[in-house]
Amino acid sequence: MIWQRYRNELIVAAALLFALSAFFYKHAKRAEMAQSNQQMAKEFALLKETVSLKKIWGNKQIGKKVDALKNLVNPSKMVWQKKGRKLHMTLHDLTASEVNRVVTRILNIPVQVQKLKSEKTGNTYSMEIVCKW
Amino acid sequence: MNFSGSSRPLILVHRAMKTVTGIEGRVDVMVTPQFYTVKREALHIRFAHQAQKIAPSLFDGLLEDPANHDYFVYREDETWVFIAYDPKEIAAFLESRGIAPQQVAKLFFAQQAKAHFTAPVALGEREALVLIDQTVTVVPRAVLHKQQWRTFDETFRPGKGVSLGVAETSLLTRKQALSLAAILFLFGIIWLSEGWRYGRTNTALQTKLETYYATYPSLQSAYTRDSIAAKYRKIDKIERKKRQVVGKIAGMLFKGVTLKSFEMDEKRFHAVFEAVDAKTLKRLEALAKASGIVQKQRKTGTTMTIEGKV
Repeated sequence: MIWQRYRNELIVAAALLFALSAFFYKHAKRAEMAQSNQQMAKEFALLKETVSLKKIWGNKQIGKKVDALKNLVNPSKMVWQKKGRKLHMTLHDLTASEVNRVVTRILNIPVQVQKLKSEKTGNTYSMEIVCKW
Repeated sequence: MNFSGSSRPLILVHRAMKTVTGIEGRVDVMVTPQFYTVKREALHIRFAHQAQKIAPSLFDGLLEDPANHDYFVYREDETWVFIAYDPKEIAAFLESRGIAPQQVAKLFFAQQAKAHFTAPVALGEREALVLIDQTVTVVPRAVLHKQQWRTFDETFRPGKGVSLGVAETSLLTRKQALSLAAILFLFGIIWLSEGWRYGRTNTALQTKLETYYATYPSLQSAYTRDSIAAKYRKIDKIERKKRQVVGKIAGMLFKGVTLKSFEMDEKRFHAVFEAVDAKTLKRLEALAKASGIVQKQRKTGTTMTIEGKV
């Protein structure tokens, strides 16, 4: 009947076992929570990035912004070919400031520039722009 | 009849008892007034724990060594019965009579069974237990003239007893063990509740995620999400690079420098600059080197051509 002889120690041992189990339970839960939070934060960051990228490059208003390029220079200096979500624009007899205006405007619209060509002939410039969105 | 349901034997312990042999397992013992001091008081106390608190003060001056005494209190009609006993003394006596203290499950006091002392109970050949003035008392048998005796049996077993609380081999006393266990238990409860709190996820972040998913249901699938992110990330990276190239080329234009031609496609770019003199060209060269986008650079007179990857 050893257990009766050491009954007091057994009571303390049982309580100690309980306390230790609770301690390890707490630590396990804390680690689990940290991992879960990290995972969620990562997922949230990716989600946020995806949403903002989609808002920029997948914006449905891009087409309208591209159409506004038509009014940048005199229509007689421009050959405009727009098919669906692709634009082929040829410009000639442009001044340096017109070139600046066109380039600045097109680069501020979230389109994928496939070709950007500019050449100086005499005092004027000719340009070719191909882009899609 | 044993209504308490205990299957342990009940032993009456008195000073004149002989050594007990053949005891295996646990026993209950009832001690005679030789091992305790009893006091009966009519107090306006409602609960036993309150009576237990004031018990030591009632025995002031009555006990030889009060620090070693424990107290047992119970109610008897309108009065409270206070019993002071020395567990160590009882344990030592039991040991001397062949009963190990750790074998004792419950300790009872003869006073608790006073209703059963309808006749004297013999304690060996010289003494007897009798009820005098509602108190169970040890008297010499010689003073008793009655020839009727009562045998001590299971019917004397009271409903409530105390634990002896003494185990000589134990490193801790019952009180110490219980205090320590209570502290550990308390810590355990605190840690458990903390663990439970940690178990709940970060609700703020969870809510934000849910809001996003509600607005963009197509992004709920991890596969779709990764695929969309990869597609737009690639576009973003390339287009930013293209705009950076145009920005750097524009940065190379200053007074005396003209951009003769510029061409950029999905992969490469090519630019031709015309400088007014050699000094301007040298400055242009330095700018081109510092831009970090030029891979090939060549000069012909005052003309400089640069090439690079997007």
